[in-house]
Amino acid sequence: MRPNDRAGSNLMRRQELELLAAKIRRNVLDICMQRGGYAGQGVALADIAACLYFDELRDDTKGWFHDRFVLSNGHDAIMCYGALAEHGSYTMEELRTYNADGTKVDQSPIEGQLGFEITAGSLGQGPSQAAGIAYGERLKGSDKRVYCLFSDGELQEGNVWEAAMFASHHQLSNLVYIIDNNDLGATGSTTDTLGVEPVPEKFEAFGFAARRINGNNIEEILNAFDEARQIHDKPYVLICDTRLFVGIDCLRAVLPMAHYVAAKDADWEAGLTEINAKITSLTNRL
Amino acid sequence: MKLCSDLLDADSRTFDDAPFDTISYELCSRRSDVIMVSADLSKYTQMHSLKKKLPDQHLEVGMAEQNLISVAAGVSKAGYIPIATTFACYATRRAYDQMLICMGTSPLTNIVIGFTPGIANPARIHHQAAEDLGMIRAIPGATVIDPMDVTEFDQALNTAVDTPGLVYMRGHRGNTPRLLDPAAYTFQLGKTYQLRAGKGIGILSTGHATQWALEASAKLEHRDVEHSLLHVPTIKPVNEDEIAEFCFAHDQVVTIENHQIVTGLGSLVAEIVSDIGRGPRITRLGIPNRWAPGGTLPYIRKQLKLDADQLADQIVDVL
Repeated sequence: MRPNDRAGSNLMRRQELELLAAKIRRNVLDICMQRGGYAGQGVALADIAACLYFDELRDDTKGWFHDRFVLSNGHDAIMCYGALAEHGSYTMEELRTYNADGTKVDQSPIEGQLGFEITAGSLGQGPSQAAGIAYGERLKGSDKRVYCLFSDGELQEGNVWEAAMFASHHQLSNLVYIIDNNDLGATGSTTDTLGVEPVPEKFEAFGFAARRINGNNIEEILNAFDEARQIHDKPYVLICDTRLFVGIDCLRAVLPMAHYVAAKDADWEAGLTEINAKITSLTNRL
Repeated sequence: MKLCSDLLDADSRTFDDAPFDTISYELCSRRSDVIMVSADLSKYTQMHSLKKKLPDQHLEVGMAEQNLISVAAGVSKAGYIPIATTFACYATRRAYDQMLICMGTSPLTNIVIGFTPGIANPARIHHQAAEDLGMIRAIPGATVIDPMDVTEFDQALNTAVDTPGLVYMRGHRGNTPRLLDPAAYTFQLGKTYQLRAGKGIGILSTGHATQWALEASAKLEHRDVEHSLLHVPTIKPVNEDEIAEFCFAHDQVVTIENHQIVTGLGSLVAEIVSDIGRGPRITRLGIPNRWAPGGTLPYIRKQLKLDADQLADQIVDVL
């Protein structure tokens, strides 16, 4: 499937994206089972990645994207890798060096690596940079839209709220924040560490249009992106409720709170078997 | 005063009022790709004309320095050259991680100007940045400039907009002396400038402190103390050969800086000399590693023994 292929019926579009999401999940497992990694996040974000990379971001006709995607929480790069393998930007052979000594496939990438606009490992700095990019793109008369993914844990960083004030003040309607609202930080539940809810209401108070959705429902994700494009006087925030490993039940059952995963071989194999069966089923459906 | 060139004449110094008003406006008039970003201090960095006449090239982020640096870094990724402006203390201490991560790891030009550096601010501790040069020179690939006057500030900024990566420079504001003749002086990144040639004691200085060094030099001349003076505006990337050659031509070296004697120019010179070995003794004059007092600049200088008379006394004492 080509990026940004909006041809065909809504049903076809959704079914193709569901298949892509399944393939992204498989890629995430394939990459992380080599030496561990942020597999739970990659699996959980696969539906958002499919919608973002293969529907929402417009093609620049040169093999890349016209719109701009800024990853703020570096560890969610695993989502990007899973998707960019399907896009053809990385080979799985390259991606299997993730987390290896000397690899060029960083767990948390540095600016300049293919697919990554900023250095993303120090959390809370993506929303401001995305807002700066959106401001600059608008200033030069470009129609590029800017999408920035960050996590609910990053909402504990003050820099995020400075960015929110700035984006709202300058009415950056070409800016869409996507929050991976998985109620998980490095040490446990965000709710227990330092509560961030109610997230939509907080952003609305800062002047955003906000929508809370199930981050694993492709229909809801697509509808939200459609809605964001219709808003012309304020930035948009999409709060995606997610949970680790949603989409691969056997791994969700054994690793529900694993911020960083080094699973047993048998668990990885079970996960692969489950997702491969799903890919076969979704392929046969098309 | 015996100078090796006609770069300056300390006896006939002129003063510029609100230098950054002119510098920012003229630079943006020439370069439509430059965006001046401020964090609620544009009035105090004196960007008056730019805001009125070229409003599209001024971006206000509010009193939020982490946002100042990270938004500016984003603006660079849209094809512009951002110049983030605030006081040196806030730019460096409040937003150090943003400067290192968002700008320091980027190949794109990102400029930060820190105003009222060192003791050039009357409010003690919180408004004084005595450690900014050391902090930023620790960032790999960064460029760090401490201009001595308005002429050098203007020229260094015009060089910075064509310099890739993070450029941190100290700014001048208010009623500021112009010592270097713009017609005779040309700033080059990394170059050092010998303002007085001679034997005896070798003095190195940077930034605002080169003004102090020139004052002390006049006192030393009056007292028939032989000395030479090297101005080092670029702290990084520094021309190590020029500094080594100057230092090894003297038995006694003194550094003078508007910065802590830890991690700044004095440390830099000591690193260069010690890497070679068997060099001259180095005496570091500047802000000690303790809290500086507040007050007027002449008062603070006197308290820290950085006024012309006490500087000259300390330089003579090294003999």
